[in-house]
Amino acid sequence: MIKEYFAIAFRSVLAHKIRALLTTLGVIIGVASVILLMSLGNSAREEAANQIRGIGSNLIFVNITDRQGNLPNDWLDNIQEAALIKDYSQLISSSAVYVVEGQDVNVSISGVNDKYASINSLDMSLGRFLSEYDLEYDTPVVVVGSKIPSLLFPNQEIIGNTMIIKGMPFTVVGVAEERGTNFSGDNDMMVYIPIRYAARMSGFSSINKTFYIEANSEDNVDFTLNRVLTYLESIMPSTSSYRAFSQTQILGVLDTLMSLLTTLLSGIASISLIVGGIGIMNIMLVTVRERTKEIGIRKALGARQSQILAQFLIEAIIITTLGGGLGLLVSYLGTLLITFLTDFNVLLGLDAVMLSLVFSLTIGVIFGIYPAYTASKLEPVEALRFE
Amino acid sequence: MIKLENVTKKYVMGDNIVMALNGIDIHINEGEFVAIVGPSGSGKSTLMNIIGCLDVVTGGYYELNQIPIQDYDKDELADIRNQQIGFVFQQFNLLNNFSALENVMMPMTYAKVSKKEREERAHTLLSLVGLSDRTEHKPTELSGGQQQRVSIARALANNPAIILADEPTGALDSTTGIEVLNQLKKLNQDGKTVIIITHDPDVAQTTNRVITLKDGCVVSDERRQDYD
Repeated sequence: MIKEYFAIAFRSVLAHKIRALLTTLGVIIGVASVILLMSLGNSAREEAANQIRGIGSNLIFVNITDRQGNLPNDWLDNIQEAALIKDYSQLISSSAVYVVEGQDVNVSISGVNDKYASINSLDMSLGRFLSEYDLEYDTPVVVVGSKIPSLLFPNQEIIGNTMIIKGMPFTVVGVAEERGTNFSGDNDMMVYIPIRYAARMSGFSSINKTFYIEANSEDNVDFTLNRVLTYLESIMPSTSSYRAFSQTQILGVLDTLMSLLTTLLSGIASISLIVGGIGIMNIMLVTVRERTKEIGIRKALGARQSQILAQFLIEAIIITTLGGGLGLLVSYLGTLLITFLTDFNVLLGLDAVMLSLVFSLTIGVIFGIYPAYTASKLEPVEALRFE
Repeated sequence: MIKLENVTKKYVMGDNIVMALNGIDIHINEGEFVAIVGPSGSGKSTLMNIIGCLDVVTGGYYELNQIPIQDYDKDELADIRNQQIGFVFQQFNLLNNFSALENVMMPMTYAKVSKKEREERAHTLLSLVGLSDRTEHKPTELSGGQQQRVSIARALANNPAIILADEPTGALDSTTGIEVLNQLKKLNQDGKTVIIITHDPDVAQTTNRVITLKDGCVVSDERRQDYD
């Protein structure tokens, strides 16, 4: 019997192809946007997590927000062993503007020590990072971000070349690998010079403000962070004058934020699914009215109420499931398009696919039941009289 | 087989109460060939709806096959229409999106007959009414007479004991009308109880019993002795 209902329902959907397609449009758009947003959100989370993990999950970041309460210059040396700190680097920063072919190019300048690269998992594509020797003897050398060579030294040998920073000549000894943009700005437009050298130059942020600390293992990150916090608490006037957090914490916050955003956007998108469902209910009501005579004939010839109900309910479900399927196809094409147009790799999540199919099925049942019920309750005599 | 006793049917239209049927007493036995005649507004369509279990009485008693109809709920009435009554309508009432064959199969679908059996039986019935070469045609591709023959085949789908025909020749020219009447007569000769509702005295003359209605009452009930 179910097979017959499907056959009958398919026949009436096919009899009104354009109408069925227009009716499903709401569901197509709804399903496609829900899937697309969910997939985008999940991919963005994945991407962000990867990027942060790439920087190093042992990393702890300390920032002193006011100068009251002096940090001893060697405070990290003093707690290094007890806090299970592997390495650390201070960072002071400045920026410079270079004019290339009439265009301003902003370059961030970071004064760091030789440990900075390993702490931040910064790899070199050419040459080397700052060395212990460079730090010890304050050699005027510079390591540049991946975009610098082509911007400031087009068609030139980069290693061994001289870069003028704030009027001082520096010898380029290395080029960092491409890193992209993260919360500390565009890493590829950054240059690194020895910190003590930087501290003597004008225009840099003051020392003892920003620190990068690497715990000796991933398991000890929380321990190290606690020790650092305890120390800062003991020496700083208030907890509001410093910030210290681990990469893992940032990852957690970011993840929470992203999933919140994804849920929110998917929620908004699912409103369009409901609107689509209402469209289906509307058309089904029109269909029932149009086919009153047919319903009358079927009832006169022995169709029970439940059989008429099933026929029209299945028709609504076919329409919405069709919409769900097409929506899935549209969102798949959407992910291909996004992946093609950007370097952002979007994957259609299985959960999104399942959810959309369940959604469209549910919408079909919810919004199909009322019209189908209306049809099933028609009196045969009245329905037969309808022209 | 059909027993109506003091049957009334009342419609409320605004402030007016219309007595469509006003105390009808009719007994029809198995195998009879009956015409119910009367001018329009006499209540004959209402009577047909009640006999066909499409509508229910306001008052009185209606018994079909020894069972009082008021004991049935809507689904059981649907089953009775499906199993025991074959309808032939003036406007044929075929489903235009479906072929002649599918139209004949439809009542069997609701009777949960298997697909194979449905098809076989529908083919047999269509050849019985002389349409074996038109099984795949849609109603709109058939003439009026052919459509009415499809609906006769459909009426026979579940082999009901009663054929209820409402103005079966009303939409046909006189030649095809006679063909359809002959078909109904033949069904009666094969043992079916055939009831024709008509306003046409000529149609009524083909039957062996004529019940005349006027203003919701039976005014005459004549059996023809010379009926062959």
